[in-house]
This record gives sequence, C-alpha cells and structure tokens, in this order.
Amino acid sequence: MVSGHSNMPEWVYIGVVVALLCWVGAEAWNIERLVEHIPEDAKLIKVTGQQWFWTFEHEDGTKEIGELHVEAGKAYKFEITSKDVIHSFNIHDYVVLLDAVPGRVNTVWFAPTEAGEHDIQCREYCGLIHYNMRGTLYVSEAGA
Amino acid sequence: MTMRILAYATLALALSLPILPVMAAEPGEYLDRRSEIWNLFFRMMTVAFTIGTVVSGTIVWLCWRFRESHPKAKRTKYEEAGEW
Amino acid sequence: MVLEMARPRPIWQIMFSTHHTDVGLLYLITSLAFMFMGGALALSIRAELFFPGAQIITDAMTFNRIFTVHGTTLIFLFILPFASAVGNYFVPIMVRYKDMAYPKLNAIAFWMIPPAGALIWLGFADFTWYATPPYSVISAPGPAADMWIFGLKILGVSSILGSINFIVTILKCKHPDMPISKVPLLAWSFLSSSLIVLVALPTFAAALLMLLTDRLGVSGFFNPAVGGDPIAYAHLFWFTFHPEVYVLVIPAIGMMYEIIPRFSRKPIFSVTSGIIAFILLSIVSFASWAHHMYATGLSFTEKTVFMVGTLAAVPASAMHVFNFLATMWGGRIKFSTPMLWAIGGIALFFSAGAGGVVNSAMPLDFVTHDSYWVVGHFHLFVMGTILFGSVGYLYYMFPYVTGRMYNRKLGNIHFVLSFVGTVMVFFTQHVLGLFGMPRRVYDYPPIPEWIAMNQIATVGAMIIGVSMALFLINMLYSAARGKEADMNDPWNLGAKYYYPYERKNPQH
Repeated sequence: MVSGHSNMPEWVYIGVVVALLCWVGAEAWNIERLVEHIPEDAKLIKVTGQQWFWTFEHEDGTKEIGELHVEAGKAYKFEITSKDVIHSFNIHDYVVLLDAVPGRVNTVWFAPTEAGEHDIQCREYCGLIHYNMRGTLYVSEAGA
Repeated sequence: MTMRILAYATLALALSLPILPVMAAEPGEYLDRRSEIWNLFFRMMTVAFTIGTVVSGTIVWLCWRFRESHPKAKRTKYEEAGEW
Repeated sequence: MVLEMARPRPIWQIMFSTHHTDVGLLYLITSLAFMFMGGALALSIRAELFFPGAQIITDAMTFNRIFTVHGTTLIFLFILPFASAVGNYFVPIMVRYKDMAYPKLNAIAFWMIPPAGALIWLGFADFTWYATPPYSVISAPGPAADMWIFGLKILGVSSILGSINFIVTILKCKHPDMPISKVPLLAWSFLSSSLIVLVALPTFAAALLMLLTDRLGVSGFFNPAVGGDPIAYAHLFWFTFHPEVYVLVIPAIGMMYEIIPRFSRKPIFSVTSGIIAFILLSIVSFASWAHHMYATGLSFTEKTVFMVGTLAAVPASAMHVFNFLATMWGGRIKFSTPMLWAIGGIALFFSAGAGGVVNSAMPLDFVTHDSYWVVGHFHLFVMGTILFGSVGYLYYMFPYVTGRMYNRKLGNIHFVLSFVGTVMVFFTQHVLGLFGMPRRVYDYPPIPEWIAMNQIATVGAMIIGVSMALFLINMLYSAARGKEADMNDPWNLGAKYYYPYERKNPQH
C-alpha cells in the first residue's frame, strides 16, 4: 500500500455493511411473502382505471364509480386493469397499491379491519386530471 | 451540524407516527398488511437512523478533531514529505 | 495553466475551437445556464404547491409540462454536460495528453446539446421525463412529445460520442510512463461512467425510436390497443436509466475524490479501493433496473431478484464513503468552500443511500411507490450528492478556469443556505410521501399534514433559490472582476494547486 496503512478496518466495515444488507433482504423477503399470500375466501372486486376515474365491479355484478363499499372483517381481492393509459390504484391508509396497466390484470388483496372512510387515488401520472383521479373507500361495520 | 439535522429528521419522523393505524385489539382472521408493512418500515428506520447517527457523528467528530485550528493539529507526514 | 477569462478572446474563437479546455468551457457555461433554467421551473412547482388549489400556474397541463421539462433539463442538460465539462478540462491533463483523443468529435458532441435543449424547451412536453406509454403514445399532445423524443435522441448520440472520447483518451492516450493504476480517481470515474453509457444507452435509443414509430401509428410496440406491451418500454427505459443514475453520480464522487484529499492535506486513503468500488458499481448497476417497477405487477421471484441486485450496489457506494472519511482521518482539514460542499455531499449521499436501502425492501414499495418519498429520495442523490459534488468542484476549478478567485464569503453562504434548503425540502418530502401524497400532482386535497409539509418544502426551495441567486452573482462578478488568484496555491494550503503537467491553449 502506498501509504502503508492497514486495510483491516475497511474489511470489517464492508462485512458490517453486507451483514446489514442481508438482514434487510431477508426481512423484506419474509414480509413480502406474507402479504402476497391471498386468502382463498377473498371476495373479488374488479377495478378498472381510465382517464380519470375508477370503476369497481363486485362479485355479484354491481358496479360503482368513484366509490367502493366494502365490509370490515372480510378479505377482498382486487383485479386491477386499465382501459387507456397506465394508472396506479392506491388506498394509502390500507397500504394497497398496484399499477393498472392496459392489457394486463394485476392482483392485490386487503382485509379492512374497522368501519371508516378512506381516500382512493391514482399514483401514476396519467395526464391532465391525474391529480384529481380520486375516489373514496367506505368500510361498513362487520355483518352490517 | 449534520447530527442536529438528523436529530430533527428523527423528531419529524416520530411526529409522523400517528399515521400508523391503531391496530385492532383482537387479531383478525386475516393478516393485516398495514401492520406487517409499517412494522417492517419502522424496524428498518430504527436501524437506518442508528447507523445515520454513527456516520454523521463520525463526520462531525472528524471535522472537529482534524480541523487545522484544533490545538493538537499538526502537519501531516505527507506534508512534511511533500507528497500529496 | 489555462486561463479562459483572464485573457479575453472573441467568442467565435472559443465557439469554433476544438481544444479540450474551450469545449470544456462551452459545456460548463451551457450546463450552468440550463441549471438556472431548470431550477427556476422547480421554484415555480414549489410555489404552486404552497397551498392546495391553483396558485401561480393556472392549469394542470402547464404544470405537467413544467415538471417534465424540469426533470429532463436538470438530468440531461445540466448534470451530464457539467460532468463533461469537468472531464474535458481535467481528463487530458490527468492522463498527460495534449487534448482529448478526438477533438473534432468532442466539439460535435458538445454542439449537439444546444439544438437538443432547444427542442426540449420549445416543445415543452408533458409526459414526464420517463415518457410512459401508452400515455406518451396515445394521449400526449404533439408536436411537444415528438420534439422531446428527437431532443433526447440527439442527447443520447452526444453522450455516446463523449463517452467514446473519454474511454479512448484514458486508455489509449495516457502517457506511456503512466500505468492505469496511477490514473487519478477522477479520470477513473469518467472511464467507468463512460463504459456504463456505452453499454446502457443503446437500449433507450432503440426504445425512443419504437416510441416515435408508435406515435406515428406505424407500429404498436407499446400500445396495448394493437397488442403491444407498455411494460416492455418500462424495462427498456430502466435498463438504460438505472445504470444512468450511476453515470450521473460516479463523476460527482470522482470530483469529491479530488477535493477531499487536497483540503485534508493527505493522499486518498486507498486509491485501489476507490478503483475497485468504481468497477463494482459500474457492473452491479445493471442488476437493479426493475426495482423501479415493483408496482407494475412483477412476480415475487422477479421482485426478489431485483431487490438483491439493488442491495448488491450498496457495498461499493459504502466503500466510497469509507474512503472519504478515512482520508479526512488524521488530516489537517481546511474548510474552504469546495471542502464544505464535499463534506455536505458525503452526509447527503449517505442519507440518500440509506433511504434507498430501506426503499429497496419490496413490501415498502406499497407505501412509497410514486409518492413524494421517491421524489425526496432521488433528489437527495441528484441535488444532495451530485450537485453538491459538482458545485464544490466548480469552486475548486474556478481559479483554474478564470484565473480569479470567487468571493469566499458568498461561496460559504451559498453552501450553508443550500444545505439547509436541501434538508428542508427533501427530508420533508420523504415524510410527505409516507403520508401518501402522490408525485406529479398539480393540486392536492386540503389535508393539514400535506399542506404543512408542502409549505416547509416550498420555504426550503426558496432558500435554495436565494442561495443560487447569490451563486450566480458570485460567479459572474468574480469571473469578470474577482481578485486575481494566486495560481500556485489559491487556498493557502501550502502546496501547488494543480498537476505539474501544463499545456497551453494554442489560441492563447
């Protein structure tokens, strides 16, 4: 070495960094595995994005625009697609987020726990009124 | 300076905790993705800010100790040899 | 020494020159001009978001155009040309060659930038710097979109020509007595970033052409209505632009490698470690592109692979930080303006990197994707790391370029205000993203937390704006009227300013 110093500290440092990264990777892998597992009895809701609103279709065929009514204590599976450009379906309060891509169906699920109202928004730039491509999620009491 | 900024950032983060939804008391039938994901996030932020404290502390200490106006500051051996 | 401003020449002599310092000066002035233009757009974005509802921008389309041109300008017309400016000035000197390997090619590469900039600014497209299809194919208004595509096309060619020039200059034109391991790290940074450009950029060049023919309606690569796949574009785009992130950051790290040892009055802790980290970064940079696409519906396996690829880039970046700090250790540090910027850059580089590691964890994408977290994260890189390294280096090369000294007090104020502003804007934006605010929105609902944090960010941006105004005044005034610099040792470090090798510009 030009300056005659020891490289030991750098190796220790790299070891610590690599160990931390392994921990991050393992934790992330584990949680992703858990949240991606869709319960078998999850009810299907078809979500369609288009400039600039959301349409929802329940299993029984009822449709809603800009509003989504679900029941606490049940699991729901969203099948998300788009009619025109790419959107991103997002219920931030329930950490639900997935792109609505034309020609593809993406799947994500959630199980609301208590009654309330939550914002639905578009998170992928989709043109003029992207900023106002919003909706509302209404969660009603279990068994109501 | 960096240290103080990071301290404020930690504070800002702590104040943002109310966004963590209050978990239902009884464990539901289904996995709650909110709690899983946000818990992961806060575990990682704890580690990140711990490391951040160490790194920024090191930077601040280096700047304080090796500034040229420090009482113990002396010419580096490279300066003496003229090779830097 | 090459003094550009001390001995004024007619402007055409500089414009038609192919000498590396003249081309470097052209790159420098152009990139700084675009920095102020792009920064002004950023300020208008921040002013608009100060309150919900329309403030200074009357319609959403204008807003969308502004953030598109803001991003495109600062990445392609400021950061890249600025790095080229530094490379043009110093790479030939560092490898002890009379000029760049291909001087005419060098001038051509520069002269592609003004027309490309004109296309981007006169068009003022609205489809974000990422030009997402199918929006960019079926919905984005022309001719702005097409002008943007042509502008980027030209910039891509310019980048490739510049990269070839750097690679050949470093590998083939370095002095025969100089082994590659003795080439300074700044030149190494240009070697590695140029190699990345050569491998990564053709993919995007192809994607741009496909996008153009899609827009013309003669093909349907990315248009699902005729059987195309928009996600294919995302892959092509990010295969180029994730490595491109490293193309942007690596020269800035190289610049810090020049500044930190100089003002610590020590040699770099380990040149070998720096070289290894550059090589590692340029290889691993190709393993992480789809981490931008977790939300497009990638499978669990794909996500895992790209998360591991992303994390793999971290040790190399961490080696640079270690190298910086170990260089300062045991030194006798003088806190002149360039050193302040470099140290601030290290701190923000770490913050950006730590945020990136947290972000690479796949489940957290459900929280952060396309939110203001992402905006804060990458701005900590482009502003906190790249701009800080670049501006620090600009102060460092200022006497070299102008023969004069900048105003030190103003330079230090510039640093303090910029650092405070950067932390205020981009740390706040991380938290704003956690509250769920999407990026690229013209307006937002009046949620109290969103309003408060947007206002903090806007105030921070205005502080940066003030600091940049001081910077502009300092640069213009000092270049023309500044105190003559002591060219042997402008910062009173007790050593020669620059490399012993001198080459006079034949025009002087």
